Amino acid sequence: MSEKKDVWQGTLALMVLKTLHTLGPLHGYGIARRIEQTSGDLLAVNYGTLYPALLKLEQEGYISSEWGVSDNNRKAKYYKLTRAGKKQLEREAREWEQTKAIVARFLTPGEEVT
Amino acid sequence: MRGLRAWFWRFAGLFRKERQDREFDAEMESHLQMHIEDNLRRGMSADEARRQALIRLGGVEPTKEIYRERQGLPVLETGLQDLRYAARALRKNPGFTIIAVLTLALGIGANTAIFSMVNALLLHPYSFPDLDRLVLVWENRGIDEGVDARSIAPQDAADLFNEAPVFDALTTYRCGNFNLNAEGNVQPLLGCRVSANFFAVLGVNPAVGRVFNSAEEQPGTDQVAVVSYGFWQRRFGEDATLLGKAIQMNGKKYTVVGIMSRGFHYPVSTELWVPLALSPAEKVDRTKLSLESLGRLKAGVSVAQARIATDSVALRLQREYPATNANRRTEVLQLRKELYLYSLPLFLLLQAAAVLVLLLACANLANLLFARIFGRQKEIAVRTALGAGRWRLARLFVTETLLLSCIAGGVAIAASFWSVKILRTSIAPSWTMWVPGWDGIQVDRAVLVFTLLLVAAVGLLFGLATVLHSNDKHPYTTLKEAGRSAMLGSAGRVRSALVIAQVMFALVLLVCAGLTAQGFLRLVDAYGGFQAANVLRTEIRLPEKSYADSSQLASLYDRILRGNAALPGASAASVVTNSPASNVDNETTFFTIRGRSTLKATQAPSADLQISSPDYFSVLRIPLVAGRVYSYADNADAARVAVVSRSMAARYFPKGDELGQQIKLGATDSTEPWMTIVGVVEDVRQNWWNPTNRPTIYEPFFQAPQRSTVFLMRVTSNPAGYAASLRDVVRGIDDQVALTGVGTLETEITDSIAIIRIMGVLMALFGGVALALSSVGVYGVLSESVARRIPEIGVRLALGAEPRDVMKLVLVRSLKLTGIGLAIGIPVALAVNRAMSSAIFGIVSINLFLLAGFTVLLLVVALAAAYIPARRAMRVDPVVALRYE
Repeated sequence: MSEKKDVWQGTLALMVLKTLHTLGPLHGYGIARRIEQTSGDLLAVNYGTLYPALLKLEQEGYISSEWGVSDNNRKAKYYKLTRAGKKQLEREAREWEQTKAIVARFLTPGEEVT
Repeated sequence: MRGLRAWFWRFAGLFRKERQDREFDAEMESHLQMHIEDNLRRGMSADEARRQALIRLGGVEPTKEIYRERQGLPVLETGLQDLRYAARALRKNPGFTIIAVLTLALGIGANTAIFSMVNALLLHPYSFPDLDRLVLVWENRGIDEGVDARSIAPQDAADLFNEAPVFDALTTYRCGNFNLNAEGNVQPLLGCRVSANFFAVLGVNPAVGRVFNSAEEQPGTDQVAVVSYGFWQRRFGEDATLLGKAIQMNGKKYTVVGIMSRGFHYPVSTELWVPLALSPAEKVDRTKLSLESLGRLKAGVSVAQARIATDSVALRLQREYPATNANRRTEVLQLRKELYLYSLPLFLLLQAAAVLVLLLACANLANLLFARIFGRQKEIAVRTALGAGRWRLARLFVTETLLLSCIAGGVAIAASFWSVKILRTSIAPSWTMWVPGWDGIQVDRAVLVFTLLLVAAVGLLFGLATVLHSNDKHPYTTLKEAGRSAMLGSAGRVRSALVIAQVMFALVLLVCAGLTAQGFLRLVDAYGGFQAANVLRTEIRLPEKSYADSSQLASLYDRILRGNAALPGASAASVVTNSPASNVDNETTFFTIRGRSTLKATQAPSADLQISSPDYFSVLRIPLVAGRVYSYADNADAARVAVVSRSMAARYFPKGDELGQQIKLGATDSTEPWMTIVGVVEDVRQNWWNPTNRPTIYEPFFQAPQRSTVFLMRVTSNPAGYAASLRDVVRGIDDQVALTGVGTLETEITDSIAIIRIMGVLMALFGGVALALSSVGVYGVLSESVARRIPEIGVRLALGAEPRDVMKLVLVRSLKLTGIGLAIGIPVALAVNRAMSSAIFGIVSINLFLLAGFTVLLLVVALAAAYIPARRAMRVDPVVALRYE
């Protein structure tokens, strides 16, 4: 059970970075909503676990945070992708592609090696 | 990298807790609001909107906790928390804290003190750079002839250096006595003739001036000298103009060219160095092992390799020069280990005793801790119920024991500054100057590091042991059970085991202490075969040029002896080449027995040689076994005679026909005169470290007069009071004769075994501490077990048992615990006894009375310790006890 959590945590970080890359600075609620949307509502993100993940990313220097004002004039903490974050995003995206390709080769019916 | 960055953030987070909490609350609140607004827009009612939002957010508190943990460093925070808790607990229980700290401090302090000695004497006796590459090199005939016989022949040394590719450099030297002429007085000095590379090999530089160069190694240009710092201070008051001045020694003028740095005295207690100027004949000599040699190994060469290399050279020399080098092998030994033969067993014993004391202290501490743990069962159950894992509990206990251990360590270190100083100054400098490294015994960095490691180890060990034995039971059961009937089954057994171990250690320690103490008490017996009381002793040194003729020598000594024997209260006076307690082995010599089959030069039997005046035997009251001792009539004009020791007679004349046989010194071809054996005397044990009785030949002084002797005189009482008269007599005969070390023989003997005395005191101290600690341990366990069993005792009493039966219960338990401990301890103590007696010859022997005595003592002590708990048990009121349940 915890393994699954780790996997999701890893991909959660990737999803957060990608979201920020695409949409620019965004608050935690917005990120969560966007992830849900992008996954076609297949993922029901536990919003609670999002915030510790955001903290971790901030501590590692991939995102930075700043208090700002939302559309509805509400105070909210906005997160922004840093340059290091952008590099990490590219790196992780590449790794995903690799993993995807390798797994695909296994799963595609191909030539039998006798 | 990222991880490190994250870590720094978290570390900083420790200090911003409040602000971070507030921010997080604000963020959660804002998230919630935004979600609620969205839900409202979708058409939910206000309540529903909020409810849905909360559900989707998940639990706020758990999230907060995860978040908070991420923010700071939980390990550090809880660690600090534990520390504060532990400190508070210690403050609230001052009795326990003081006992625990003192017990541990005692154990740790003992080890610190002993380690400071081990560090200074065994690990760093010298402060030369790269000490481990310095080695002593010598030759022997395959038999160990003692520390003082480590010498080598000059040409052999040259060959070894040239052919064995293991040395960077090899230096040779020869030490002896120099008589300094200053202000009309003759003062003896220990000085060494050294090769020019001597100081370079050791890696030392002079403080002022220079050392020798190779030009000064030639006879004729060798009248230069380097002096020690201490010598410069004492005899010349740090006179800055000493360099370039000449001093008069042995009748010759030596120009001082250098002054060594403070504290340099290699070889031990040397004050003066002059060049070793060998004549061309001496340089190529192989017959006499006349030099000592020290080498610096090449980098990367091990001592084993050096031994192999030098040995192969020795074998070649054996083949090529059978006349001189037959049976000659080489030995290589690290300089650091030069005295290990004597010092290692002593210090191993001391260190072992100190470790035992620490173990005893730890056992006591463990018992104390277990008692506390028992009282905290409820607390532990609550913590476990609240989610503390075994690891968390372990951290809690380890923190407590580490704190205790650190406090004890602090106390121990503070005390050790004082105790180590006492140790260092407890033996007279006239003896410690012969022990390299003695002045370095102090609480230095190495000792502190050792102590800290010990403190950490003890703290960790105890913490973990406590955890392992705290209850495995489900917290529910513990919380449910009322009162004190929550028995710690396994921990109770562990406590019993600890006490048994304590009793065992105490017995072993007591036996060791008793043996060493007894050995010291028998100090006079360590020197056997003579009586030392009421004997005055001094060393006589003649000025270099005078008394060249042996008949002049004989007449001088004759006058000295007669003059002193005539003093009122003096019964006899004598001189001898080597007296007991001189710290030096006798000179050895080959000898030949007339009529026995001829042997090659290097296969002749050897014996100790003592040259003494006739009254030597009566001064020391050495018993005569057969025949007669020589008299003044056996002088230069009379036939040559000799007296032998009993063991020599037994070994070489097993048929008992030694009287009348003839022997001569040297091998078959020696030109020494034949001496007729006229008497046999009892064996004399001269030095406490030599247990075997070496065969000894006594030659009459007046048939072979010597220049330097030891003067011994027996008086009726108060030998020290004769010092002044002795000096007057000798000065009246010749004021150029130097007398050194005037004192009583008994003092010499006592000083010579000062180290044993120190050990005896230390061991007696350790033994006493062990006894105290183990009796406290027995008492502790018994009283705690009685307290635990009060309900049971109440039941027994209610059912009709007599108070006396209850007391018997307690006493029997005490005896059982002690009995098992003793049963295990006795064979261990016996084994230790045997090991000690073989390692420290002559002092210690198997002593069953001591063993039996201490066994009984421990039993008695155990019973005494059981007394109070037993009385408490007897006084239990069954009504109260049962109600308490």
